[in-house]
Amino acid sequence: MDISDRLNVTPVEEVEPFLEVTPALVQKRRSQGRIIFDRFIRNRAAIAGALALILLFLFCFLGPLLWRIDTDAINVTSASSSLTAPSLQHPFGTDDVGRDEFARVMAGGRVSLLIGLSSMFVAIFFGVGIGAFAGYYGGVIDNLLMRFTDVVLAVPLYLLLFVLSASFTDHTPKSVIILISLLTWTYAARLVRGEFLALKEREFVLAARTIGARNFRLMVRHILPNAAGPIIVNATLLVGANIILESVMSYFGFGIQPPASSWGNLVSDGQGFFDVAPWLVLTPGLLIFLTVLSFNLVGDGLRDALDPYMTER
Amino acid sequence: MGRYIIRRLLQALLLLLLFSLGMFALIHLLPGGPEQVIFNPRLSAAGRAALRARFGLDDPIYLQYLKWIGNALIGNFGFSFADNQPVTNVIAERFPATLELFSTALALALVVAIVIGVLSAVRQGTVTDYTLTTLAYFGISMPIFLFGLLAQDIFGVYLHWFPTSGTQTLGYTFDPFNAFIDHLQHLILPMLVLSITFIAQWSRYMRSSTIEVVKQDYMRTARAKGVAPVPLLVRHALRNSVIPLITVVAIDFGAVAGGAAITEGVFQWHGMGLLFLDSLDTRDYPVLLAILMIGAVFVIAFNLLADILYAVMDPRIRYS
Repeated sequence: MDISDRLNVTPVEEVEPFLEVTPALVQKRRSQGRIIFDRFIRNRAAIAGALALILLFLFCFLGPLLWRIDTDAINVTSASSSLTAPSLQHPFGTDDVGRDEFARVMAGGRVSLLIGLSSMFVAIFFGVGIGAFAGYYGGVIDNLLMRFTDVVLAVPLYLLLFVLSASFTDHTPKSVIILISLLTWTYAARLVRGEFLALKEREFVLAARTIGARNFRLMVRHILPNAAGPIIVNATLLVGANIILESVMSYFGFGIQPPASSWGNLVSDGQGFFDVAPWLVLTPGLLIFLTVLSFNLVGDGLRDALDPYMTER
Repeated sequence: MGRYIIRRLLQALLLLLLFSLGMFALIHLLPGGPEQVIFNPRLSAAGRAALRARFGLDDPIYLQYLKWIGNALIGNFGFSFADNQPVTNVIAERFPATLELFSTALALALVVAIVIGVLSAVRQGTVTDYTLTTLAYFGISMPIFLFGLLAQDIFGVYLHWFPTSGTQTLGYTFDPFNAFIDHLQHLILPMLVLSITFIAQWSRYMRSSTIEVVKQDYMRTARAKGVAPVPLLVRHALRNSVIPLITVVAIDFGAVAGGAAITEGVFQWHGMGLLFLDSLDTRDYPVLLAILMIGAVFVIAFNLLADILYAVMDPRIRYS
């Protein structure tokens, strides 16, 4: 990597004094966001992940506008229309009752992606809130909230997820979202607590307090933006993790249930026909894998782009 | 150090107590509670009341909790609704299978993760490193149950290398040696499947911590003194680079337990995970509670153990 690349990531404040002496060395002034964006763009794996995600979302959400085959259209009139191999008419084949797998995978993907994203938002919201309170106020509040977090962390996640979903949920996406977010906010909470503990001692917080900012304003407007990086990275990785959780739940029959579908229960629907129609397992399975992989690549790319110590590599 | 351990022990006990309270409340708040599951719908009102009284379900909830926790402390988790046997017996029957799957998968994952991590750290930036990194990404992004299904179909159904499920071949009586071999053949697939996710995750930690350690001054000194490459890695680098991994493994302990439950479900491995899934179907609450508690005890105990090991392996860390 040559010297100009290294200069790209040098903070602007340090470059400025050179302005009169050697103007040739000075790069164009770039905003912090621009610097991070440029660093992200240069990470080829992360870009591949981001593109894959865009395609996956387009496929699942806009695909049905172009592919007008009814998901539930059962075709039992002739034995030849069930479990057919992939063809032009049915790109991913058909299932045991002759439903078009291509349309089913789109419908399942909408549910899986929706659950992954919304459970992430709910979990991050509560995780950030709890972590911020614990870290900002410290003392008894911190102790109480963190012991509560420890209790949630002490359970083998899947076991509790299964117990709760077997009894509490009505197997709709909404209940699955609530359940997953109930159990996955803990990591964000610990992360945000740590950030707040460190940041609240900094001078800019003292300065803001001196000019009269109240606690809530200090937390939301002054400290939180400085903790945004790790939160965004955690949120991205959490989407992938939550999609896995949803697929496991649905696979074991605790999550989304037929006639509604998600990628997880498409896999469990198809597994009985693996010898005759392996695509029924492979297609939704591959899509879960691709989605989670893409979220992981983007998350790690963001982590590298946001990390101020990543300047040399 | 001693005081630190005592304080952590007390904290762990408090945590367990809170956890048991939470789980007990949760399970007794659930709709479709125990009596709907066990009671015959055609039972008369008097019979129903008798059963409720026998299971102590009419007592106030705090009294039920105190009774349950008091008994649980001396190792009595009540009776299984489904089996009508003491929960302890039901679990004791399944425990060895889980222990076997869990410990072999954990050991395999640790060893392979350390080897892969060190290898890709030493060969940082080479084809080996990129290949291992790519494989790790694949491993992390693949849900365990999908791995299980694919492994069953490829190695069991198509290639006939390994049996697809269970813990032994049914309908045959082998002599002890062949029975052991047969059992091992059943163990291999679930063990591999369970370990792959953790190999992928842990090798990443191992890689970055080894890269950190190799850069340090004492490593350069050792190299300058003429320590050969392999002893340098094993004796000088590994001792320090493995420390962060210990914490990660301890934190992931619950995840491995959850993964074991999923693997057991996919492979019909007759351990506690499968028992848990079956008990969910029959709403066998005493068994579910007991398994949850055992899981939590293990998770908390290993977290504690990790903190202590941490201090033992790295003399720079002092606890007060």
